[in-house]
Amino acid sequence: MKTILTALALSLAAGPALAPAANAQDAPAELGMGVFTFTSGPAAAYGMPGRNAAELIIDQINADGGIGGAKIVPTYVDEGQGGESVVSEFRRLAGDGSVDIMVAALSSGNCMALAPIADQLEMPMVTWNCDTHQLFLGAEHPYVFRPNSSTVPEFVAYAAYVAQKVPDAKRIAIINPDYAFGHDAAAIFTAAMKAFNPDVEVVAELFPKLGTPTFNTEISRIAAARPDIIFSNLWGGDLENFVRQASARGLFRSSQVVLALGESVLQRVDLPEGVIVGVLGDGFWNSPDAKGNEAAQGFAEAYHEKFGEWPVFPGMKMANTILVVKQAYEEAMEAAGGWPTKAQVLEALSDIEAETLTGTVTVREDHDGLVDQIVGVSTGSDTPELADMARYSGEAITPPVGVDPIEWVSTLTPEFAAELPAPGSYQ
Amino acid sequence: MDFILPMLVDGLAASALIFFIAVGLTLVFSVLRVLNVAHGSFYAIGAYVAVVIGGFVMSAGASPWLSFPILILSAALVAALLGPAIERTFIRFTYGKPEAVQILVTFALFLIFEDLQKLIFGVQAYYQDAAVSVLGISDIGGIIYLNYQLLLIALAVVVVVALRVMLHHTRLGKMITAVVADPEVSATLGIDTRRVYAAAFTIGVFLAALGGALASPNSGVAPGLGAEAIVLGFAVAAIGGLGQIEGAALAAIIVGIARVVAIYQMPQLEPVAPYLVMLAVLLVRPYGLFGAATARRI
Repeated sequence: MKTILTALALSLAAGPALAPAANAQDAPAELGMGVFTFTSGPAAAYGMPGRNAAELIIDQINADGGIGGAKIVPTYVDEGQGGESVVSEFRRLAGDGSVDIMVAALSSGNCMALAPIADQLEMPMVTWNCDTHQLFLGAEHPYVFRPNSSTVPEFVAYAAYVAQKVPDAKRIAIINPDYAFGHDAAAIFTAAMKAFNPDVEVVAELFPKLGTPTFNTEISRIAAARPDIIFSNLWGGDLENFVRQASARGLFRSSQVVLALGESVLQRVDLPEGVIVGVLGDGFWNSPDAKGNEAAQGFAEAYHEKFGEWPVFPGMKMANTILVVKQAYEEAMEAAGGWPTKAQVLEALSDIEAETLTGTVTVREDHDGLVDQIVGVSTGSDTPELADMARYSGEAITPPVGVDPIEWVSTLTPEFAAELPAPGSYQ
Repeated sequence: MDFILPMLVDGLAASALIFFIAVGLTLVFSVLRVLNVAHGSFYAIGAYVAVVIGGFVMSAGASPWLSFPILILSAALVAALLGPAIERTFIRFTYGKPEAVQILVTFALFLIFEDLQKLIFGVQAYYQDAAVSVLGISDIGGIIYLNYQLLLIALAVVVVVALRVMLHHTRLGKMITAVVADPEVSATLGIDTRRVYAAAFTIGVFLAALGGALASPNSGVAPGLGAEAIVLGFAVAAIGGLGQIEGAALAAIIVGIARVVAIYQMPQLEPVAPYLVMLAVLLVRPYGLFGAATARRI
């Protein structure tokens, strides 16, 4: 009896001290991660580097012990199967318990469709591309986070670069893909160009559909308009086709071409010297910051060894996003004193500031990311290098929380552009 | 007004490629009475084979001029291998069957070919532009065009003439014409209709593969090419009148010009331009520009 009373007293006394340890969970053996990207169709030219980078960075993380001891187990979903199937796959993965967090998606259209599903299913979703500024426009998504850039800072950056690099440009031709990303980009770039130089005019605006094999008529139409600037956010196989065809027909000699996603094709097509190319964020493995980052260079070397090409920026964006997820789990584990709950992971993601392979990303209160923008010009060499680079602070060129993005762009001034870093300033 | 000459050149160049797609489709329909959705696959396979063989030969250091015979020989190779084989193993079972059955069978074939292409060639785009590079460029109305685009226009004219000569002045052509007019009477007269069907189908495959091969030097070859081709091919064949070669040629020109005019004047209408033309033509002439109502035998 005495023994029982002693044990009871000890357990009561020790109870409060042992409580936190009892609540904290042990790390599971595996962390399921859904990874959505295009691995088929013309968009695979952009999506496969993302798939490859995910595979590589997950292997590296797992080789280092995983996240708090949990190995990442990815399930890859091909966005090329179409929007409805992508939503079904998301629901299936969220429902069968095999996935704890989603890294989704490439297509802005898929992101817009998946975001409310993520909220509905209470499944954390961290976007790795999802450029559309409409993602958090007028809708809160408590389970969705974008530790990446979006259309407004991206296309304001190009306009700012053009305003300083080609100050006399007056006539703009635009050729963008015929869906929200293309139309949004045209509207933002045009608004920003007019804000920085009210005299500019759009002399041709073309929106060929995704997967267009030949752009010959569009090239003739643009050439006939005699533009000073040709702006395009074509991407993937479409961008490769356009560059090859436009280059053969002299378009790069007659106008200053701006390719918003140009870095992604530097290794696949012969881009003439002096084309303004962008990265959609800071994910350039060969930027000055990335060159000073041992992990970034190691990742690039490993990628080159495994896949035979240097990682283009979609690959770096994917790797950076998965590193943000890793850091969020680690911060949540530290706060929880053990394996975190879903709520604790969401809490960590909601205001994270993470060092990525290519810079720093901050997630704001609206779950949107602040990421620097890198713009430069092609060097004409066989290696993926950029000349005359400028690095724009994400904070400087991203609309404040709660402000209509397009209205914010129209409030910009030539003085604003003049105060931004000059081409060539990012050494 | 400044745009008229560029629009004309662009329109004819675009028409040429559309014509290659549509003419094989319409020839197969006129002889076999089969709506062949898999025709788009032959276009894509022609492009893949031309790019792969061309790439192999060019990387071996051959003269870029060799790329022209390679384009034609690639199409011939695809036709020789796939034409008789597909006709004997799949298409012949659809003869005389309802159109829905024909479309289901050929659509299934199309899907199989799409997956096979991905399996063999992957999802990346392929390029082989030696033929474009070697021909150079021309300045027409202040716009730089590829001479290869002009060559395509000339080749489309050659194909129209060659098909006319083949159909009206060769033994095979006369047999095809007889079978088109009445297969049963033709068989009674001693024409081996099975061989005529196989020959016509193979010619159709050759024309589709030739279209793909000729398109490949100026465009990336990637999954999805066949779907684009077959949709446009059906639209043009329907506008021209199913089974009408001259109709396909005229319809290709109309559709090509319509798309170009849309791009120049109202770009948002470009994706639907072929179907607006089809709607307008079929409302006035339900059997197409060159088609005619036929009595249905019961």
